Amino acid sequence: MNLFQFCNGIIVWLVELVNNLWYWLGDVLPWYFGDFFTGIGDFAGSHGHIVVMTIVLESLMVIIVALINVLNFIWLDRKLSGRIFDFYGPYYVGYRIGGWLQNLADGMKLFVKEIIVPAKADKLGFLLAPVIFVGSSFLILATIPLSPNFGIATNESGEFVTAGVLFAFAAFAIAPFSILLAGWSSNNKFTLIGGMRSAAQMMSYEIPLLLTVASVVLLAGSFSFVGIVDAQHDIWFAIPLFIGLVVFLVCIAAEVEVTPFDLPEAEAELVEGWTTEYSGMRFGLFMMTSYLRGYAGGALATALFLGGWQGPSLIPDEIWFLIKAYTVFVVIEWMRWSLPRVRVDQILELGWKRLLPLAVLNLLIAATFKTMGWFSG
Amino acid sequence: MTWELFIFLFLAASALISALLVVRAREIIHGVVALATCFIAVACMYIMLNAEFVAIVQILVYVGAIVVVILFGIMLTKREIMESGD
Repeated sequence: MNLFQFCNGIIVWLVELVNNLWYWLGDVLPWYFGDFFTGIGDFAGSHGHIVVMTIVLESLMVIIVALINVLNFIWLDRKLSGRIFDFYGPYYVGYRIGGWLQNLADGMKLFVKEIIVPAKADKLGFLLAPVIFVGSSFLILATIPLSPNFGIATNESGEFVTAGVLFAFAAFAIAPFSILLAGWSSNNKFTLIGGMRSAAQMMSYEIPLLLTVASVVLLAGSFSFVGIVDAQHDIWFAIPLFIGLVVFLVCIAAEVEVTPFDLPEAEAELVEGWTTEYSGMRFGLFMMTSYLRGYAGGALATALFLGGWQGPSLIPDEIWFLIKAYTVFVVIEWMRWSLPRVRVDQILELGWKRLLPLAVLNLLIAATFKTMGWFSG
Repeated sequence: MTWELFIFLFLAASALISALLVVRAREIIHGVVALATCFIAVACMYIMLNAEFVAIVQILVYVGAIVVVILFGIMLTKREIMESGD
């Protein structure tokens, strides 16, 4: 049973339950109102309505899974930083469940805070930037399946969309636009500098990122997540394309702006980077979404290099996928809390002079393997 | 009127209106936001034509490169001149 059939079952059950009420009203009420309620019942029971509501429920389930993962990731991040940095607060917070509820408390605090819009800010851009950032980041997760049965980018019989990987990276590419918009519309020099740095960094690290993805796609011979994971049945792509995995992780760290690459929000130079003027839940959305992008990066690295949901069948597929994604996230966080920030004049040098040649070398290795016929896809 | 026609009319209207806003906007950045909206609406139309690959490449290449347009908009134009022009 895949996710579509599961959600379809729930929706059909709900519609039948509610239709009892509509048809009962249609029987009881006098002729005109009765026909009206019978019409509502007929519409609710029609095929198109049920399919649309199923898709809505599926999207909701993916969003809920993503948000629970984000809560876990923030918790994991705090605990790891407490461990590595000897922070007393995050390390000792919480009683029985290890401070997991701290995130909810932070969220509540941000919810009740006032949203301050600077007087000279550009209102349209200031409102639109968080919307685009959050929307495009959830869009990344739309095509990433947790297992062949748990993904929403399918048709009714459960066949996946063919260009899912490309779509995930296209959604990744929208974010610098919203960041630069946020930086510009706040009408503040620090936010503008942060937005400029972010645009330069994200644009230049996207090229090695996409080159490593191209090498994976070349080996697998498929653009869809299911095809790529199936191609790793014998050997994970992390082994033949080890350089690619390293380049991919560094580029993902730069794309989600964690510490060796957090120049856009370098709190020692720019106040809080491009989020300086944001307050309340708008800032909370930016923070939550940066962790969401960390989750998306971990999930992409899992699907492309670490064999996706494949593993001994003792544990369900979805749990395997999440275990691997969490491991990738822990590695990125480890890098985050133990490395110093890259200097601003070196960041483009690292991207263009080190990572890009490595990515091209990786592509050559992949092409060689493909030509030798070791990977048939 | 079928749903497909309704969605197509919505997308076409948003593409045309945002394309008009690109040339009519006072602030250059508002024009760039409208340009991104126009590209995304066109990408959605490609999806309606069953050309998913073209749609994704449209988003990846054009919407991704909007950032460069914003950078040029910020660095190569003077806001005072545009504000006094109205």
